[in-house]
Amino acid sequence: MSALVELSGLEKTYATRTGDVHALSAVDLDISKGEFVAIVGPSGCGKTTLLKILAGLEDHTAGTASIGGHPIRTGNGDVGMVFQKATLLPWQDIAANVLLPLSLRRRPTSQDREKAAALLRMTDLEGFARKRPHELSGGMQQRAAICRALVHKPSLLLMDEPFGALDAMTRDSLNVEVNRIWRETGTTAVLITHSISEAVFLAERIFVMSARPGRIVDEITVPFDRERSLDLLGDPEFAALTSRIRTHFEVTHA
Amino acid sequence: MVGALAVLAVVLILWQILPGALNVPRYVIPPLSEVLVALTDPVAFPRYVQNAAATMTEVGLGLLIGVVLGLALAITLTQLPRVYGIVFPYIVAIESIPKVAIAPLFVIWFGFGLPSKVVVVVLLAFFPVLVNTIHGLRNVDRDLINLFRVNGASRMQIQVRLMIPAAMPQIFSGLELAVANAMIGAIVAEFVGAQQGLGVLILQAQGRMETPAVFALLIILSALGIFLNLFVRLARKWIITWERT
Repeated sequence: MSALVELSGLEKTYATRTGDVHALSAVDLDISKGEFVAIVGPSGCGKTTLLKILAGLEDHTAGTASIGGHPIRTGNGDVGMVFQKATLLPWQDIAANVLLPLSLRRRPTSQDREKAAALLRMTDLEGFARKRPHELSGGMQQRAAICRALVHKPSLLLMDEPFGALDAMTRDSLNVEVNRIWRETGTTAVLITHSISEAVFLAERIFVMSARPGRIVDEITVPFDRERSLDLLGDPEFAALTSRIRTHFEVTHA
Repeated sequence: MVGALAVLAVVLILWQILPGALNVPRYVIPPLSEVLVALTDPVAFPRYVQNAAATMTEVGLGLLIGVVLGLALAITLTQLPRVYGIVFPYIVAIESIPKVAIAPLFVIWFGFGLPSKVVVVVLLAFFPVLVNTIHGLRNVDRDLINLFRVNGASRMQIQVRLMIPAAMPQIFSGLELAVANAMIGAIVAEFVGAQQGLGVLILQAQGRMETPAVFALLIILSALGIFLNLFVRLARKWIITWERT
């Protein structure tokens, strides 16, 4: 498989008033087309910085970063983003919110609207296109945010702790949903999370990061099928994988 | 609503009864009926209307200019973080000055006519709009701005389609303060020196010890203030449909 995302020797240093902060160090990472990759690590390990570099929101200090063979450029429309909060525009209905990535570039066509409607169907939000965000539950808002991130068919779906603000049960059902969306759309997905079990549940490959400077300390291939169900959470192999990842944090924090 | 109206009814009844019952002199607090006679006086009423129109012209013009300037400066400053850092301490400093105190100076500079009043109203309406709008614009969710940037939004699109709508609640809070301030500014400016306006009529009635007329003018002034405030609140409800009450 060809690599869609290629990061090599990536470095990021922030200048702050109290001196330089070395946020990322020698990050090498390839992501294949259609792959689901999770990046786990403790807070402050630079995983959000890494995601922002992938999104083109931040520059890197050294090394190379490319998507589809081209250096990452802000706003080229090649990434879709999901944040911890749904960040829907409260003054627009769900349909208009989902269409935002397209409507910022051009007047949405009828095909665009059909695409948005199809995504809302896929996430069981069919009847909510005309509703305002505040009329939806937190989980439904986050599903709408996922639709918005996919409407312009980006080559890369970036998710930054997408369910961190939701309760555990909503989280579980959304994880099942994300797995289904990923399989149905064939998108390439990068998930940033500090939840080890979420990473194991969703990803095909997991990169484990350590803090200060943020670097990749382990890479794990998850052996499960593409289709995942909540039964997996009780699987001994699932438990073995999560505890293997957890050891890293015990070691790095000792 | 019913409770509030009941309170008003009780206050009005007490106003009618108490001054006579307690032997309060009429030039101190006249009973409600005398105030109403003064208010509906066929000779005085056209003068009230004419002068109320003058005052509201000052308020309207001053609000328009003050609000537009406040919004424009807020949007400009939040886009220029360096300039903002330099200017903001001065905004805070000027905000804490009681600006009506400058009114006499404006009469010297701009005369006894309309301009000096409008300038006072502009000054009083400008700051709450400026400060509240800046607050609103600076508190827009970073992730929303990032979302727009990731999707290739221009600076203009970020302002028009994100920042300004997102800051609407704070802009309206500023507007409500600006409206209340504008009325204060116009009346004080008229007290300081003017040829017409409700402030002038209040001073004249006071000079003749016509207390019922003073009260009648205060009622007109309050009604105009309430009407303006109501207008802004309705506009807020109409524009910010996503705000939960």
